Amino acid sequence: MSIKLTIVDQMKQIAREHGKTLAPLSDDLVLLDSGLDSLGFAVLVARLEDTLGVDPFTTAEDAMFPVTLGDFVKVYENAAQQRAVA
Amino acid sequence: MAKALRSVLVTGASRGLGLGMARQLAGAGYRVITLARQQTKAVAEAMAETKRAKRGALHFVPFDLGEIDAIPELVKDLRKEFGPPFGLVNNAGIGHDGALAMMHNSQIEELIRINTLSPIVLTKYVVRSMMSERAGRIVNVASIIGFTGYSGLSVYAATKASMLGFTRSLAREVGRLGINVNAVAPGFVDTEMTHGLTGEQRAQVVRRSALRRLAEVSDIADAVEYLLSDKARNVSGTVLTVDAGATA
Repeated sequence: MSIKLTIVDQMKQIAREHGKTLAPLSDDLVLLDSGLDSLGFAVLVARLEDTLGVDPFTTAEDAMFPVTLGDFVKVYENAAQQRAVA
Repeated sequence: MAKALRSVLVTGASRGLGLGMARQLAGAGYRVITLARQQTKAVAEAMAETKRAKRGALHFVPFDLGEIDAIPELVKDLRKEFGPPFGLVNNAGIGHDGALAMMHNSQIEELIRINTLSPIVLTKYVVRSMMSERAGRIVNVASIIGFTGYSGLSVYAATKASMLGFTRSLAREVGRLGINVNAVAPGFVDTEMTHGLTGEQRAQVVRRSALRRLAEVSDIADAVEYLLSDKARNVSGTVLTVDAGATA
């Protein structure tokens, strides 16, 4: 499964578990408007670390705040790529 | 196979309060994973004791909790080896005392790193596993010094008060995921940390306690065991003071 699909999948599952309604998940969707709250994103990052084996927010040199879903997916794609190179 | 044991991570369990907690929790049937810089003879004895009792389990993992950058990897390794933790007891701490005006900046920094920064970062990574499980217990070992004054302990007090604030807000943050967060605030307990107290100071603490005595290691371990137990399932965001009435 592609990284993007994995992320979208997990977001849907977490929304279900937390009883939230997700906005349509397009690349330019602003994360704050996605329907998941900050705790939902915390759970998402924890689950993605399990499934993808990376936590880009810990390995990054500086704090980063992706704004859109597209940015968020890119952060994970870059981290996976860096890991493959290392 | 018997029901899997609930794992509990206890930091700073090579001696003093932490060792007492680790021993008691293993006796209560938990799989206790202790973290400390080095394994002491007392820990080895406690491990042998647990093995003989054939109840619970006690493991030792060497780790310097001042190595903040190594914490994410540590938590990942622990999870691989022992499974997702049910409980985390942030007990490790140091107790440098001294007049603030004379304390070396490096000592101030070390106190804050070991007593505040390290447990917060460790909790960050452990709580993620708990979130996935939608269950977990976090117990922060603070001190009555976090809310009463004691000359010579201003920096220590700052670190302990910070853990009380951390406890309350984190309890709010993760409560709806089934995770309870509480603190235990021991009064003066006879351990290596309080050996710096003179006989006169110790007598004064006893005299000012409602019960005219000091709390003991086992009293603090009882409080931690309670907060980890099913009996405390509806207790979160609170501070359990165990000080023989010293702050009453």
